[in-house]
Amino acid sequence: MSKATFVRPPRMAAWLVDLFTPTGQTESIPGDLLEEFSELASQSGAASARGWYWRQSAKTAAHLIATGFVVTPWLIAGTVVGGWLLGWAGYWLTEKAVVAVHYKYQVYAHIDAYDFWLLYGVLIERLIEPFVVGCVIAVAAKGKEMIATMTLGLLIAGWSGLVLGYFRQYWSEPNFSLVPLLLTTFVSPVMIVFGGGIVREIRSAMSRRSSATHC
Amino acid sequence: MSGRDYLGEFEHIVILALLRLSDLAYGVTVRREIEVRIGREVSIGAIYATLDRLEAKGYVKSQLGDPTPERGGRSKRFFHVTAKGIAAVNRSHRAIKSMTEGLRLVRSCS
Repeated sequence: MSKATFVRPPRMAAWLVDLFTPTGQTESIPGDLLEEFSELASQSGAASARGWYWRQSAKTAAHLIATGFVVTPWLIAGTVVGGWLLGWAGYWLTEKAVVAVHYKYQVYAHIDAYDFWLLYGVLIERLIEPFVVGCVIAVAAKGKEMIATMTLGLLIAGWSGLVLGYFRQYWSEPNFSLVPLLLTTFVSPVMIVFGGGIVREIRSAMSRRSSATHC
Repeated sequence: MSGRDYLGEFEHIVILALLRLSDLAYGVTVRREIEVRIGREVSIGAIYATLDRLEAKGYVKSQLGDPTPERGGRSKRFFHVTAKGIAAVNRSHRAIKSMTEGLRLVRSCS
């Protein structure tokens, strides 16, 4: 390789590859991409090398996702179904708990307490609970964290979209605001994928630390 | 012999690239060899997906090399073809040869 100033590959593209790379290949795939990128940057310039890196990263991520479905279909299916059921159970339990608290402490009589429980009830249902579900299924789908959480996220988003479409006659009613409804509906799939991403990042960091210790 | 013993088209190409590269076969060199020889641009992901499948079948074996600075301190994963892999290549070659024998594959335009 000719000597040249060190050029970094696009961070987002490198992160994309890292997210989908199986745990046994965290050395080889990102290392190969970086090696070719460095050579291309010194030969053809940084802009051309970045373009190449983006194209390779997108194609590689697509291949890794497809391979994940082919190699471990039952692991993905099991974790997605498990995550779906866990999500529904969590949603049901949270709602029951919030209603129970409302009744037990008569919070309807106190507007501040009512606001507090309503706000945190929704927060737990829409943000925290899907995040926990995402983390749990990512832990179960070792090495395929992002594929499992993204599949579940897409299924839930599709299902929520169908339900919203089914009730579209209410959209035109006065005082109906679609944007908050869309935000609260589609935040859950995003939180599931976010949970998966966090678990994946922790695992990647542990794997890097372990390989650094071996070297 | 079952149909699973035959190599797929891309598996065949990748094994031949490994044989050509001998001790220097890892992701980057395999990708380039294929690009130079047959003019097909493939992604690193496609190469590794195929190599992993071949390794699972016992046709290739891999080992990690030393980490290098131009790879951000990451190791290369070197591959070599096993005796079982060479037998699979020979079997596929024989099958293609038998099937193409006596065929006129180039059609005239008239």
